Amino acid sequence: MTQGRIVTGPEITQDLNLECDVCIVGSGSGGAWTAHELAKQGKSVVMLEEGGYHTRREFDMTEPRAFQNLYQELGNRATDDLAMTILQGRSVGGGTTVNWCSSFRTPERILKIWRERHGIETISTQTLSPHWDQIEKRLHIAEWPLEMINANNKVLWDGLGKLGYERGLIRRNVNNCLNLGYCGMGCPVDAKQSMLVTVIPDAVEAGVTLYANTSARVLDWDGRKVTAVRAEVLDVATRKPTGVKVVVKAKVTVVSGGAINSPGLLMRSQLMSEGRVGEKTWFHPVLLMMGLFEHEVNAFRGAPQSVYSHHFVDRGPGKMGYFLEVPPVHPMLASTTATGSGAETMELMTKFNRLNVMLAIHVDGLSPDEEGGTVRLRDGAYNRYSIKYAFTPAHWEAFRSACKEMAKLQFAAGATMVRSLHVNPVTLNSAAEIDKLDDAAWEPMQVRVATAHQMGGCRMGKDPSTSVVDPHLKYHSLDNLFVVDGSVLPTSLGVNPQETIFGIARWAATHIGQAV
Amino acid sequence: MKMYLPPPGTKPSRRGVLKKGLLGGALLALGGGGFLFTRKSVEVDLPGDGLLVLTPREFAILTALSWRMIAKRDGFPGVEELQVARGCDRILSLVDATALAETKQLLMLLENALPNFLFGRRAKTFSTMSTDEQDAVLTEWQTSRITLRRTGFTALRGLVLAAYFQSDKTWAAVGYPGPLPGIHDPNAPVWKGGGVERPVGNGTYHEALVAPVPAPAAVDGGTP
Repeated sequence: MTQGRIVTGPEITQDLNLECDVCIVGSGSGGAWTAHELAKQGKSVVMLEEGGYHTRREFDMTEPRAFQNLYQELGNRATDDLAMTILQGRSVGGGTTVNWCSSFRTPERILKIWRERHGIETISTQTLSPHWDQIEKRLHIAEWPLEMINANNKVLWDGLGKLGYERGLIRRNVNNCLNLGYCGMGCPVDAKQSMLVTVIPDAVEAGVTLYANTSARVLDWDGRKVTAVRAEVLDVATRKPTGVKVVVKAKVTVVSGGAINSPGLLMRSQLMSEGRVGEKTWFHPVLLMMGLFEHEVNAFRGAPQSVYSHHFVDRGPGKMGYFLEVPPVHPMLASTTATGSGAETMELMTKFNRLNVMLAIHVDGLSPDEEGGTVRLRDGAYNRYSIKYAFTPAHWEAFRSACKEMAKLQFAAGATMVRSLHVNPVTLNSAAEIDKLDDAAWEPMQVRVATAHQMGGCRMGKDPSTSVVDPHLKYHSLDNLFVVDGSVLPTSLGVNPQETIFGIARWAATHIGQAV
Repeated sequence: MKMYLPPPGTKPSRRGVLKKGLLGGALLALGGGGFLFTRKSVEVDLPGDGLLVLTPREFAILTALSWRMIAKRDGFPGVEELQVARGCDRILSLVDATALAETKQLLMLLENALPNFLFGRRAKTFSTMSTDEQDAVLTEWQTSRITLRRTGFTALRGLVLAAYFQSDKTWAAVGYPGPLPGIHDPNAPVWKGGGVERPVGNGTYHEALVAPVPAPAAVDGGTP
């Protein structure tokens, strides 16, 4: 077996014309597993990744470097009205380079919805389990020990315990983790079993060649076949095209750019599926609450996410569910995420190391009449899209409920003050004041909403008139184009998405290989 | 069908999505001209190493804005020491051209005396107002019923705070110790394949060394 190579932008000084069995666009959770499995089958594989090849040599645990190099739009991606900020990875390894390691198998109730509403018989717990078994072994996925959870997670754990709510310890993809707390900035010791340090190097050893800083701009297609992928090499410092072009002619093309960039590539290629590409995008909208404690929480230190609760994940018909976790809290992201005037923010930052932050992650896309998000091309933009998201009354009911429950949990765990992230923040001094949240403004741009999970936009389904790819992830009207990433999910998941995408990608590689 | 580069999408939109929302388009138009636009902005010293994307006028507006967004507090470094407006210029040099254009429009809308007169009877540019007047304008933007102004406040607030808190000189003031020493290895090997043996590390896999993976944990019903 001839080893492949990782080639970075500065090494590509003249136009390249490449031929291979499979061209994969994107190197995150979908693209990496697909590439490795196809290489093991003996296929020649070329990967294109618009982000850079950043490794632990650069991972100095500082926010400016991380946001500049590892996130889409420097961490500033958002819906058009800025009502929802979108944290999304952008480098070799994609989101897995910067996520917080939470690993869940797809819940059966979600797979049941896919089966019953979208005709997806191919993907089930039974079909994915053998893949998950292998993935969990390779990525050392295991429950994080209770005695190792940090003070920020302990607030959630204690609050859940005191209120008698369901709680669990998160399974994390780490190996020899030092419990540092910088997962979101790239792991400085390669303990996080991201695609960057595991499956991509495995794939390169198996023969895959990956071109970093190389942005796929358009797919050429003719009849029912994609004939070429046309890409541009980006300057490492400016992110602008250098003028050098890469053209890949492959027997099969796999698009794995994630739930925003994959629809973007298809739309630039005039592959619209009658407008369905970019529609029904799900974001797991996140509401946050800040709790102030007398003791130091130091929410920047230690494994960022190790406790969860699915107590409210299924709130019954007509109501949107949510699950609870906590994020890491570092100064730059904390100050920009907090709301209020400049003076209020500075005052809050004086209490920075005593702050707990809690997340309620909303399970969107389960109601048949939900529209979700829409991704469209933006005139004049290179890698910035027009993104809209339709909040419904069910969202606002759930957001208010979630913020009240988070406040309850924070007070139950000992918070002396709890603050919402409204434009005019609601400050609560005891649990008795929680109903003050009922009077807050529950509408877009009046309260901070964020997302770190992007799903849908190229949804799979049996019916070509209501979906973009078929239940084998093949683009309905083309014979040699597959989409393998979070964009194919017909709904959101109710759990952190990486392991679902890992499993689907490893499963899909079998029949993608047969299509070569 | 044959496709060619560049992709669909032509010249940059002058106003982009910021014009969406109540009066948004009209407001942005106010940012670009009018008699009261001829009122001068305050003059400030430019960074010694120059500006990358902002004009001197835009830089002056961001300087005034950063003074109000970053309230002076004991123990915290000042905006001048951290060159916050220069930091904004550097951040903006990396964003998409459409985002840069929209930020510039917002700055001019904030600065232009005409909208400031229409909304607050203040016939001055933002950068020449008293600090009390500037705070009042920012509060109006923050709480406005007009989506564009609230969106604009959020965007400019995020830019200025990011430019300030990206500095390690703010860490001591907020009780943030920064990265633990002795962890990051700036000389760590960077493996790219090409026939070179892959170094053994946490990411390499040795089946014999891997403990059996436990089954997914059952959740705890809570311990009241």
